[in-house]
Amino acid sequence: MAILNITYNGMSADYARPVDDWSSDADVRRFAVEIVRSGGLRGLHIANLPHHAFDHYVVDRFDGPRGQKRIYLRPKVPFGVAERAE
Amino acid sequence: MRIVFCGVGALGSSAALLCRNLAATLVFVDFDRVESKNLAAQAFVKPSIGKNKAEALKLQLANFHGVKAEAFGVRLEATNTEALLGTADLVVDCFDNEKSRKLVSEFCRERTKPLVHAALAADGSFGLVRWDARFVADAEDHEGQATCEGGEHLPLIGLVTAALARSIQAFLQDRSERDFMISLNGVVET
Repeated sequence: MAILNITYNGMSADYARPVDDWSSDADVRRFAVEIVRSGGLRGLHIANLPHHAFDHYVVDRFDGPRGQKRIYLRPKVPFGVAERAE
Repeated sequence: MRIVFCGVGALGSSAALLCRNLAATLVFVDFDRVESKNLAAQAFVKPSIGKNKAEALKLQLANFHGVKAEAFGVRLEATNTEALLGTADLVVDCFDNEKSRKLVSEFCRERTKPLVHAALAADGSFGLVRWDARFVADAEDHEGQATCEGGEHLPLIGLVTAALARSIQAFLQDRSERDFMISLNGVVET
């Protein structure tokens, strides 16, 4: 089992209940939509969140600082603009 | 200890200022010049407009804070990575483009040099500080997707750069590599 952390619209919070750490990235994204829609995430309740809200989000899977499994669903941090001419 | 900041734009310039009292020589690499629009979210002052960013930051540290630094106002290329990064004890990636970030990563992995990355989401709502072992570059959603630009993201930039400076400080203290996720409601160690 793992702790799922969701970052959306500038807010980040842990889901209170552990989730299966073998869930696929697609499963994590779908599950996150349901969590946010249902108010299961403290401080982040959007009842009409679109089903595709997390389609372009990244799923990171790490062991936390105290060894617990963690799943992070977060926005991309892309490289940025095309190179400027010198 | 020699810390090389690769890119001194919004993230690099602000983080460098927060690292100015560390027991280290700060080195800046950036080919770009300070523009008036940079004043909104980067750590440059008005008299620096038109100057190379690396040189401008070196001058600011010397004139305002009495701190000596080094500057290389060049673009990082495969032909000069050894010269620019070879003597670094820590490399800080604050670049804003894929090619340069990959160049830094490849060099540091080959040389097993410590490397920490900082990055921002384009909408200014989220940021990352992540050491190279756990860093995987995110693909752009579309070609040429913009970086986080504009002064309205300055508070978030401040949070990210503070987390980056704290991670650098921790590395100097005990060689720990601390990763952080930064959102508008806080900074979380990951």
